[in-house]
Amino acid sequence: MPTYENIVQQVIEAIKEIVPPGLEINPQTDLISDLEFDSLKVMNLMEDIEDRFDISIPLNILPDVRSVEDLAIQLQHLTGED
Amino acid sequence: MLEATPTKHRLQLRYGDFSTLTEALDYAAQGETGYNFYNGKGQLTFVLPYAQLREDAIAIAKRLVGLKLERGARVALVADTDPGFLQLFYACQYAGMVPVPLPASLRLGGHDTYVAQLKLLLMNCRASVAIAPEGYLAFLTEAAEELPLSFIGSADALMALPESQAALAPSGPDELAYLQYTSGSTRFPRGVMITNRTVMNNLGHIVRNGVKIRPGDRAISWLPYYHDMGLVGLVLAPMAAQVTVDYFRTRDFAMRPRLWLSLITKNKATISFSPPFGFELCMQRLRESDLDKYDLSSWRVAGVGAETIRAQPLLDFAEKLAPSGFNTGAFLACYGMAECALAVSFSPLGQGIQVDEVESETLARTQRAFPALKPCTQAMNAKEFVKCGFALPDHSVEVRDAEGNTLPERHVGTLFVKGPSVMSGYFGEKELTRAILSTDGWLNTGDLAYIADQSIVITGRQKDLIIINGRNIWPQDLEYLAENQPEVRTGDASAFSVVGVDGEDRAVLVVECRESDLERRSVLVDNLQGLVCNELGIECYIELVPRNTLPRTTSGKLSRSGAKRDFLKRVANGKAEPPGVNAEACHFQHRLVSVAAGQS
Repeated sequence: MPTYENIVQQVIEAIKEIVPPGLEINPQTDLISDLEFDSLKVMNLMEDIEDRFDISIPLNILPDVRSVEDLAIQLQHLTGED
Repeated sequence: MLEATPTKHRLQLRYGDFSTLTEALDYAAQGETGYNFYNGKGQLTFVLPYAQLREDAIAIAKRLVGLKLERGARVALVADTDPGFLQLFYACQYAGMVPVPLPASLRLGGHDTYVAQLKLLLMNCRASVAIAPEGYLAFLTEAAEELPLSFIGSADALMALPESQAALAPSGPDELAYLQYTSGSTRFPRGVMITNRTVMNNLGHIVRNGVKIRPGDRAISWLPYYHDMGLVGLVLAPMAAQVTVDYFRTRDFAMRPRLWLSLITKNKATISFSPPFGFELCMQRLRESDLDKYDLSSWRVAGVGAETIRAQPLLDFAEKLAPSGFNTGAFLACYGMAECALAVSFSPLGQGIQVDEVESETLARTQRAFPALKPCTQAMNAKEFVKCGFALPDHSVEVRDAEGNTLPERHVGTLFVKGPSVMSGYFGEKELTRAILSTDGWLNTGDLAYIADQSIVITGRQKDLIIINGRNIWPQDLEYLAENQPEVRTGDASAFSVVGVDGEDRAVLVVECRESDLERRSVLVDNLQGLVCNELGIECYIELVPRNTLPRTTSGKLSRSGAKRDFLKRVANGKAEPPGVNAEACHFQHRLVSVAAGQS
């Protein structure tokens, strides 16, 4: 089971794959206001994360996710359940 | 070990010639076909044969009737792609109630928006019952606070209620089969009322005249159940013709579009529909190395509709997947809308995308669509449109000018439709209904079209509607977000879409703003972009302009078409360069400049 720090790291790596290079991403980065993710980008990110952690992400976590941190916390719950 | 329902079955094929949905299901339940569900890895997770579905629906219907509601009471259902929705949808039919599919689309950080949207829909349809799958229940419950519902909960909770002992009285031909909220404005919802008679008429045409169902057909779909094409086209139509369907979730398609091709290969599916956007998304994510894994030779109907169809991306898709056995003739262009149950026209089967090339100059100047001379010396002289085929047999279409006069062939005007598939109206909205549905039954589609060789050709969509990535966005929703900013006054924003160089539509929001501080202007633009992304899930280009820039009609109303025309002019002149544009917006600006320059 990955640690929280590890999850944050992986989420940041996954985000870096789909945003323009050179962007600073940290746990507080807001996916909507800082990165302007549209629904397609969100889906790309989810696919990458599902593959990295081998989990299935229920869409109902999304409405309460805004930052990298929020996402990592949700993922920690999901990976912990396996 | 689960086994999907078979493609072949022993029942005599009936082309939806039933008077109600329950009659159709009673018949399909005598065979072995049904609905199957797959997860994001393509594994079969649930099998729901029509026979079982009917039994489940009847059991649920008895609980619904036990609630002692009035006949035709609205049952709002969060429509995720799962068996529970289908059981409940058909249960409403057996109980004489009206199912109302609610969106199950969740966006990043969209908690409050989603709850507000659900609440608005629950109120608009005056729901008595609201049911959601487990993962959506918290949102629905929050939305339903303070609303006078007789029941809210999960399907399991409903099943725990006592059942009614009275005999079931299913919805009759002239009772509503469902309310369909047009997938658009979140602020101004419109619930399309469709009776059993209406939907059965449309289903009959879809299966008999449109896709011409034959033994051996099998459908597959990832379209959401809360959209007309997903619900009517890929849930009800297959059932009405006793055809098996394989489903996987829209979110899984968006994440892994190749799953569509794998499942078609695996199940030898013959029928699948998508907006053009779905084909494009799928192609973008194709890997060369995967091509020989697919066998798409069974796919005989690749239906395309729900947004303006452009030929080239589809032809690219066909070319790329030809080695996998995809037949370009399988493309079936169609045109329709929820207000007409689903389908208005289908192009002829097996002929693929048919385009009509017209002289663009004449079209722009006189609104007449003359065939372009061939060979075209300059590409700019011709504009091509995809033919959407002939209107359904017992339906009439007319193209009319602004004064209401019927126009001859090859004249562009507003398309009107009349016939037995047209809706009864918008639920609880007499005025809105009267505005687009005349007393003698003509429906104003709001789409611009011309008729060529009896085929409907759509040249522009509903006047103001913005369609991005297959999603309908109402301009008033964008404008509302701007008007809610302290710096912006009501009526000082105008939204529309423009076409980029690559042909993709982009949303533009022009906002009148008195603020002169560059810093604060930039913050406003950023805030608005974030809000639009958050609420509507799209990127939007924001332009701030001085007061009194937006064109108004004599009555002071904003003219969106005028705002768009002026915007393109400013871009062409290099004048539209608001502060605070990010890299992406700059890129977009650059593309726009090229388009506008090409047009002027």
